[in-house]
Order: sequence, then structure tokens, then C-alpha cells
Amino acid sequence: MSTFFYMGGYAAFVWPSYALTLAIVLLNVLWARRALARARVEARRRLASQAGAP
Amino acid sequence: MNVNTPALEAAWLVFARDLRLALRKPGQCVQPLAFFAIVTTLFPLAISPELSRLREIASGVLWVGALLAALLALEFLFRDDAQDGTLEQYALSGQSLTWLVFAKTAAHWSLTGVPLALMAPFAGAALGVRYDAMPWLIAPIALGTLVLSLIGSIGAALTLGVKRGGVLLTLLTLPLAMPVLIFGAQATDLAIRGASFAAPLYLLCAMAVLAVTLAPLAAAAAVRMSLE
Amino acid sequence: MAWTWFHRLASPPHLYAFAARATPWLGWPATLLILGGLYGGLVLAPPDYQQGDDFRIIYVHAPSAWMSLMVYVTMASAAAIALIWRMKVAHAVAASCAPIGASFTLAALVTGSLWGRKMWGTYWEWDPRLTSELILLFLYIGYMALRSAIEELQRADRASALLAIVGVVNVPIIHYSVIWWNSLHQAPSVMKLAKPAMPASMLAPLLMMLAGFTLLFGALLLVRVRAEVLRRERSAGWIRAALAG
Repeated sequence: MSTFFYMGGYAAFVWPSYALTLAIVLLNVLWARRALARARVEARRRLASQAGAP
Repeated sequence: MNVNTPALEAAWLVFARDLRLALRKPGQCVQPLAFFAIVTTLFPLAISPELSRLREIASGVLWVGALLAALLALEFLFRDDAQDGTLEQYALSGQSLTWLVFAKTAAHWSLTGVPLALMAPFAGAALGVRYDAMPWLIAPIALGTLVLSLIGSIGAALTLGVKRGGVLLTLLTLPLAMPVLIFGAQATDLAIRGASFAAPLYLLCAMAVLAVTLAPLAAAAAVRMSLE
Repeated sequence: MAWTWFHRLASPPHLYAFAARATPWLGWPATLLILGGLYGGLVLAPPDYQQGDDFRIIYVHAPSAWMSLMVYVTMASAAAIALIWRMKVAHAVAASCAPIGASFTLAALVTGSLWGRKMWGTYWEWDPRLTSELILLFLYIGYMALRSAIEELQRADRASALLAIVGVVNVPIIHYSVIWWNSLHQAPSVMKLAKPAMPASMLAPLLMMLAGFTLLFGALLLVRVRAEVLRRERSAGWIRAALAG
């Protein structure tokens, strides 16, 4: 197992690379979902103000 | 100028008008050139007064200086005409906006790029370029600034009326101008070394042809978008 | 027959409903492919005889680089469709692409830099591919900056669309000129960022990662497109029903 983490001596390069890329993948997922949630909230608000206006 | 004026004549009228208006304010015309001179002076101060060392980087310094100086003036390409409604008149005139935009861009190049290209041999001499190499600096920089003016006209049209448009304009234009910088700097570098710089010069010419044919179309479209 | 389906997608409510339904069909296969690719790349693939375990970075670098380019082309294509056929939803698609593409360009740059560290001895060597990626990042940033600088949404859509199209025309020019520039000034790089001839055990995880990332892009795009479509819609009718769902 430790040889796996050691990555033949390249651990300092391999693991940060994977970590960063996977972080960016996850951030993209969260970011996209947040954008959708925010857009839904704003759309609801716009609808409410449109319904309220005479 | 009305709908019936031939396109070339209308373009010439716009070109001449822009030149005349600009030359009424000679102080403003000199600004990019002064900027170029100052930037060129920064490098020896920052690096070394030894001409042999400066000669190594002269090509790069000249190009970066010329690029930034030309970019400085680009912000004003459409601004004044947009503010006083002239640009809208151009768009509504029934004339081909592409030709008129090309005319304005040509005027901009004549006022910045060409003088910069003519200054370049002297700036180069200050950076250690030998006398016999000096005239060869003019053509690459003239072509490069032409392409830059054309690419920049698209950015200037897109950022019309945007706050802090100048910085955004630079951000948009520079990545697109990097091939010009690469080949142009290579051409001047070879010229400084006394070698043949035909290859990168031809590539610069090719880029210029591409830019002259396509950029005014894009810039005119961008002007219409900004006027709406 | 296929064209009716396509034209229906141009209508915002249909696109919204389609995107909502299609997202899991892209998202879950993407997850499986990426997990499989990770396992294959990290565990199953043998170490490279030249680069040892360092080459495993390819399993995150190559998909990121692929994404950076593919997303830009998608963005520019959507922009072109929006301007030429005046399809407003295409503007929503283009806007959705930019943040995704920019973040993966950043990933490609950092992973490429880490991968090159061993070969070059430094973190940055103005390698032609990475230099092109850097310029691509500037193009993305410029696109997003232009969008946020223009307040009126319609003008921002159209201006950034034009910029994307101008940019995509430049991408091959920039790529070629950077390669040429690099070949002049540097000895041929020993670095093999290009896909070398690989045995199947090395190639399979790579293909899985590439496919997985592509599907992931599809899923992310559909989520963001829904958000963008909502932002652009004035008429309340279909939105009420869509939000209830």
C-alpha cells in the first residue's frame, strides 16, 4: 500500500495533480448546481413581483 | 456622403476626416510615440547599459513597446465618434460599415503604427542595433502594428461604452495578437543579426492579408452590436 | 424528423425540460467512467519504462487539456449558431461553457507543469503546448470579463459571441505560431506530453477518462444551461410550471 502512495518517488507530483483535477471536477459540479439554485430563486422572485404588480 | 457615394470614396472621406481631426490635436498624436520612447528607455535602466547585452533583447523590447503604445491609442478609435453620434450616422448611412470601419482603422494605423515603425530604427539604435540593420526594422513593425490595429478594432468596437474599457480592450486584444508578436519579433531579431528575415516577414504579410479581409467585417458587426 | 427535435430544443421550455431529464443520463455514466479510469490509471496500468509512475499524471492532464479545447470549440459553435440563426438559447449554451472550460484549462496548466517538473527540472519551461494552453486561458478570461463588463444581457450575449468566434479562428494560428516559436528557441523537448504509443492496459484508462470527462461536461453544461435559460426568460408561463417540478 505504501508503495502505491510512494508512486515510485513521484508522489509529490502525481498526488497533487490528481487532487487538483478532482477538486476542479467537484468544484464545477457544486458551482453548476449553485448557479441553477440561484437562478431558480431569482426566477421565483421575479414571478412573485410580476404577480404582485397591477 | 450619402447612400449613392461609391464605397471607396466614402471610405476615403472617413479616413481623411479622422486624420484631419487627429492632427488638430498634435499633443494627443504624440502620446503613443512618447510612451514608446519611455518604455524603450526603461529597459536599459532596468537591465544594463551594455549595448551588446541590449542588442540581444532589442527585438523583444521594441515589439512590446510598440504593441503597448499602439494599444494605448486603440481605446479612442471609436469613442469620440460614438459619443457625438457620428458612428451611428455611419451605421445608418446606407454605406458599407465594413469599409468605413476599415477606413477608421487605417487612419489609426497611419497615426500610430506607421510613426512607431519609423521611430523603431532610432529606438533600436539606442538598444545597440547596428546602423546597417536599422532600416530593416521598419517593415516588420509596420506590418505588425497594422495587424494589431485591425485586431484591436474588433476589441475596441466590442468594448465601446464599457466602463474601464481600456484595460478590457488590452486583455481581449493581446492574446489574439501573440502570433503577430512571435513572428514580428523573430523577423526583427533576424534583421538585427544581419540574417535574412524573409520567412517570418512573409508570415506577417499573410497575417496582414487575413486581418485586412476579416477584421473589418467583425469590427463592423461589433459596432452595430454596441450601437443597439 | 430529427430536425423537429432539434428545432424544439431551441425553445427554452423544451430545452429546460430536456436538460433536466438528460442530466442524470450523462452524470452517472461520467462518474462510473471517471472512477474506472482512475482505478485503471493509478492501480492497473504498469509504470512507464522511461518516466516511471510520473506518467500517471497523463490520466488527469490529457482529459483536462482535451476539455479546455473541446469546451472552447463548443462555446464558439454555440456562439456562431446564436448569431447566425438567432437562437437565443445558443447564447445560454455559450455562456455556460466558459467557466467550465476556464477551470479545466487551469487544471491542464497545473498538471502539465507538475508533470514537466521532473523532465525539465523547473515548473515552467515555455513548452509550446503549455504556452498555448496559457493563451487559451487568457482567451477564456477575456470572454468572461467582456460578459461581466457589459450590463445589458442581450448586448453581452452578442458581443461575447463575436469574441468567441474571433477567438476560435485564432486558436489554430496561435497554436502553430507557438510551436514554431518554441522550435526556434529550444532544443527539442524530451518531454512527451503527447500520447505515446501505449499498450492497452495504459490506453484503456486514458480513453475512459477522456470519455468520462466529456460526459461530465455534458452534464455540467445541461445544469448551467438551465440556470442561464431561467435568467433569460421574461414570460412567466412555463417558468411557473418548471419551478414547481
